[in-house]
Amino acid sequence: MIKILDHLEEWLIASLMGVATIIVFVAVVHRYASGLPIPVVQDYLITLNTSWAQELTIYMFVWMAKFGAAYGVRTGIHVGIDVVVNQLNTPWRNKFIVFGLLAGATFTGIVGTLGAKFVWAIGHTDQVSADLEIPMWMVYMAVPLGSYLMSFRFLQVTWQFIKTGELPKHDHSFVEGLDEELSKEPSPALATKGASK
Amino acid sequence: MSALIIFVLLFALMLTGMPISISLGLTVLIFLFTMTDVPIEAVALKLFTGIEKFEIMAIPFFILAGNFLTHGGVARRMINFATSMVGHWHGGLALGGVMACALFAAVSGSSPATVVAIGSIVLPAMVKQGFPNKFGAGVITTSGALGILIPPSIVMVMYSVSTNTSVGKLFMAGVIPGLMLAFLLGLTTWYLARKNGYPRLAKATWGERLLAFRKSAWGLLLIVVVMGGIYSGVFTPTEAAAMAAVYAFIVAVFVYKDLSLKQVPKVLLDSASMSAMLLYIITNAVLFSFLMTSENIPQAMAEWITGKGLGVVTFLIVVNVLLLAAGNVMEPSSIVLIMAPILFPVAMKLGIDPVHFGIIMVVNMEIGMCHPPVGLNLYVASGITKMGISELTVAVAPWLATMMGFLILITYVPQISLWLPNLMYN
Repeated sequence: MIKILDHLEEWLIASLMGVATIIVFVAVVHRYASGLPIPVVQDYLITLNTSWAQELTIYMFVWMAKFGAAYGVRTGIHVGIDVVVNQLNTPWRNKFIVFGLLAGATFTGIVGTLGAKFVWAIGHTDQVSADLEIPMWMVYMAVPLGSYLMSFRFLQVTWQFIKTGELPKHDHSFVEGLDEELSKEPSPALATKGASK
Repeated sequence: MSALIIFVLLFALMLTGMPISISLGLTVLIFLFTMTDVPIEAVALKLFTGIEKFEIMAIPFFILAGNFLTHGGVARRMINFATSMVGHWHGGLALGGVMACALFAAVSGSSPATVVAIGSIVLPAMVKQGFPNKFGAGVITTSGALGILIPPSIVMVMYSVSTNTSVGKLFMAGVIPGLMLAFLLGLTTWYLARKNGYPRLAKATWGERLLAFRKSAWGLLLIVVVMGGIYSGVFTPTEAAAMAAVYAFIVAVFVYKDLSLKQVPKVLLDSASMSAMLLYIITNAVLFSFLMTSENIPQAMAEWITGKGLGVVTFLIVVNVLLLAAGNVMEPSSIVLIMAPILFPVAMKLGIDPVHFGIIMVVNMEIGMCHPPVGLNLYVASGITKMGISELTVAVAPWLATMMGFLILITYVPQISLWLPNLMYN
């Protein structure tokens, strides 16, 4: 069950990222391509309207941000100031960590509730977005959903920490694929000139 | 009084080690619940409108572009090109590293990414050639900081978001200081290498240089796409960032083939999660600056400072000290998002140019990334070199001193930052 949620979350934010990039790219290409004086193509391109692209990208990124933040709790990417806490002895340090995690759960829980109320209120109006004309409550759903999910993730991490004493830690200095890069042949320029020294 | 409560609360929460974004948000909620009768609905509204700006969306795109580029191929070819140009001088490979960092900084908006991309290739090669480990670590840690000064720069986008300054102007203003700092860091490297007699490389012929240039051209062309696109008005900064991401994808997957299509979802996921983290800080920082404004804190501070008769010179000293101190414990994006809304109104009142002020902040952030306890570049370099943080701190000292000198220069000579944007935009 949790596994499915995990995958859904990862799949959602990765595809939002990819699709948003493609949308902006296509919109820009379209803008310039429709300026080119190619007879039939130009007429066709001008009939396409891409003014919604910007709005859609923003909404996609808002969704990505909310769900990505929840994913970030699970992977420990949210940075805090841990230099002080790390100086303490272990029992105290653990107390602070649990406090921090629960504070995170509380905050995101409150935000989720505020968001839910807001969405409820706006759901009873017929507000729609400027270009896409989709109902605004659908757009704003990202906040309650994302925040509740984030709150859930904080509780999950707290539970794991109490049980196993381990926190998810994101290693900012790790880059995928560089190990392979290093084991490849050293670049010819560096190798030959290095040898001539 | 309320200012004092807010800041004490914020610091207390931050020091417990909870994420900075959460402590910002909690401070706002606690203060609004207990001290004011600002309707909480106003907060809810801010939660939605906080990141609904197309300008902010440049951040995820630049991160994505950067992640496609860090996978080795582009960086390695840039290093080859740089060493073929400057490798025969004192400091050889180290000088090449500085130049490669500057080149990579022009396609990447992040400092740690620059350290990783260039450092993980140059450092092992330097050690193999007989450079001491700590010399290499010092060079790359500090040169990597160029990533946020030479445009594109994620920190500059953050600043422009929180102060409504033009991203294009900020990027432009970063060019000359960036090149200057690269030169100064190179000079420091050259001097130290000459003194200690570190190895040099054989002088490359012009044919070899041309070959290295041609091979790295795909990466270098990205500079033209991003910078040229923004200044000629072909793209907005956000569009340029998206174009860069698509371009970097094509170069990494189809041209240099460092990346297989199977790895692309992982890159997307990593970029999305990094962007979401930054966007989450932005959302909460927007909340926080909403609280500051509704309590009139920046205005009160501006009046207090002008009332005290503090001039521009003293104010800028205070700003630098404050930012350097903040750089001890926080990473750049958070600092800019928290500090800019507070300091910016004061700076405006004193008649400091908004673009110049942005560059001052960015240079401060650069230094903050290279010194402990929270210097992200230091951690990255320590990950690559397996050196301890305290050992690295000693290693970066000469370059850090150069950067401090450079900071003073930038702070009090606004023309360095302003000449180019004024030339371009007038």
